[in-house]
Amino acid sequence: MHCQTGSRGTYVPTSRTIAGDPLERIERLASENAVVIFSVSSCCMCHAIKRLFCGMGVNPTVYELDEDPRGKDMEKALMRLLGNSPAVPVVFIGGKLVGAMDRVMASHINGTLVPLLKQAGALWL
Amino acid sequence: MANHRVGETGLTESRPPNHHHHHNIPYAVLHGMNVPTSFIHQEGSAFGFGELEEAIVLQGVNIRNDEAKAPLFRPAATLEMFPSWPIRFQQTPRVGSSKSGGESTDSGSAVNTICSKTENQLEPESPISTKNTTPLDHQQEMASDFSRTGTSQNQPVAKLPQEKRRGSTSEKQLDAKTLRRLAQNREAARKSRLRKKAYVQQLESSRIKLTQLEQDLQRSRSQGFFLGGSAGAVGNISSGAAIFDMEYSRWLEDDQRHMSELRTGLNAHLSDSDLRIIVDTYISHYDEIFRLKVVAAKADVFHLITGMWTTPAERCFLWMGGFRPSELIKMLISQLDPLTEQQVMGIYSLQHSSQQAEEALTQGLEQLQQSLTDTIAGGPVIDGMQQMAVALGKLANLEGFVRQADNLRQQTLHQLSRILTVRQAARCFLMIGEYYGHLRALSSLWVSRPRESMMSDDHSCQTTTDLQMVQPSQIHFSDF
Repeated sequence: MHCQTGSRGTYVPTSRTIAGDPLERIERLASENAVVIFSVSSCCMCHAIKRLFCGMGVNPTVYELDEDPRGKDMEKALMRLLGNSPAVPVVFIGGKLVGAMDRVMASHINGTLVPLLKQAGALWL
Repeated sequence: MANHRVGETGLTESRPPNHHHHHNIPYAVLHGMNVPTSFIHQEGSAFGFGELEEAIVLQGVNIRNDEAKAPLFRPAATLEMFPSWPIRFQQTPRVGSSKSGGESTDSGSAVNTICSKTENQLEPESPISTKNTTPLDHQQEMASDFSRTGTSQNQPVAKLPQEKRRGSTSEKQLDAKTLRRLAQNREAARKSRLRKKAYVQQLESSRIKLTQLEQDLQRSRSQGFFLGGSAGAVGNISSGAAIFDMEYSRWLEDDQRHMSELRTGLNAHLSDSDLRIIVDTYISHYDEIFRLKVVAAKADVFHLITGMWTTPAERCFLWMGGFRPSELIKMLISQLDPLTEQQVMGIYSLQHSSQQAEEALTQGLEQLQQSLTDTIAGGPVIDGMQQMAVALGKLANLEGFVRQADNLRQQTLHQLSRILTVRQAARCFLMIGEYYGHLRALSSLWVSRPRESMMSDDHSCQTTTDLQMVQPSQIHFSDF
């Protein structure tokens, strides 16, 4: 299940598309859309986080790392970024790292998620 | 059987004459026959067994002696004195005139009576008979049984003439056999009494043990439910689960303490800053249990997610190993008045986002279950071990969901304390603590409720009274 968003992020062209630093690729992909989720298709927590955003009326851009040829490297890079496993799911909003499921939920509960989404243009309510 | 001591070794060697209260073992009782109690022993009755025995003996004697004679049957007026007498006396009424050799008229009448009784009560008595010997032998057996006691009477029964048995026996031999049999009977009766005594003692001690066990069970059950259900359980519980249960019961005790602090703090009208300290302490207290649950989820996720650490009522409404935050807020909303408009908006927003998060986690867990089912369900299995390994990997995700659910709970409580004023927060946390306390108490009451079919109205009222300490407004089971 994919909720494709209407992209409002800035597009940064890069020539380093193949042999690139995975982290850079991640950052590049994250900045291309308002809400970007890095996921693994078989991961249930990723499914939960997708349901959360769709339930809020947001259409996130989802990258399934198990379907990407460079996915393994990106997973490792994400693990380094987050400090612990699992690497997925991880959410970027407005090009900025929000975090894994626990951070996303905490920000939703404390009321900071919605303004962030609105600010990124993912929500219009 | 207070009056007489049936079966007691009471064959007295010597008895005073005319002593009607004696302890001979009636033949019928010795051999387990159904003899009416009234007949066995009639204190102060005019009838004495001694005379009966003697009469029996004499009858036997008469039978033997008067074999050739034609029987003279004399119905006796005292027939009704003998309610029943075993079929042993089913004897051809060949007793002649009962008078022989110096017997008293008493004996004579007794003999006559027995004869007539025998005559008249042949058939009804027959079921009692279990022995295979002929009536004659039986009679003579009985005669010999009682002859011993008869010997001490001042009746000339002592001079027992020979009695015909299967073979002819001498008087001395008869005595020996009689003596032996009587001794055996005494012995059997004594053993039987001892067995009975031992059995009764065993019953008594078992009864006492049973009541003690019941008390222990009741006590540990009530304790167990207050401690979360498995604190007292042994076996079939992982060490991680057992450790958590212990920590949780300690946490519950701390909870009581914190709640009383909140109560006194509210009632004492402390300053906001002072109250804030108490409230923050209470929030840290909740942070503590969530930390413990993280460890427990790693050790034994099933213990948490199945709710075995809680009471049954809590378990019934469990969501992903704990309370459902949106339901808790729903319970609190009505009681947190008065709230400013901003606060109201904040609370409703909190409830809404909590519901969304809960829904997302629930759907994620459903997908996990679906994925697991696909893995372990039937169908072509190429590699069973591989299949199980994959399933195990998926099952490990449960820990993540319980952790996220606990995270949600923790965040909700923190947000509540941010939205509310310090006094409101104190009241709020007190309400939460009391709510779960009531739920646990309800669980305990439910478990120990009487289950007899005949439950009087009084009893059901009593249960209601017990619950009156619970304010109904604080329990919204339907909402939960």
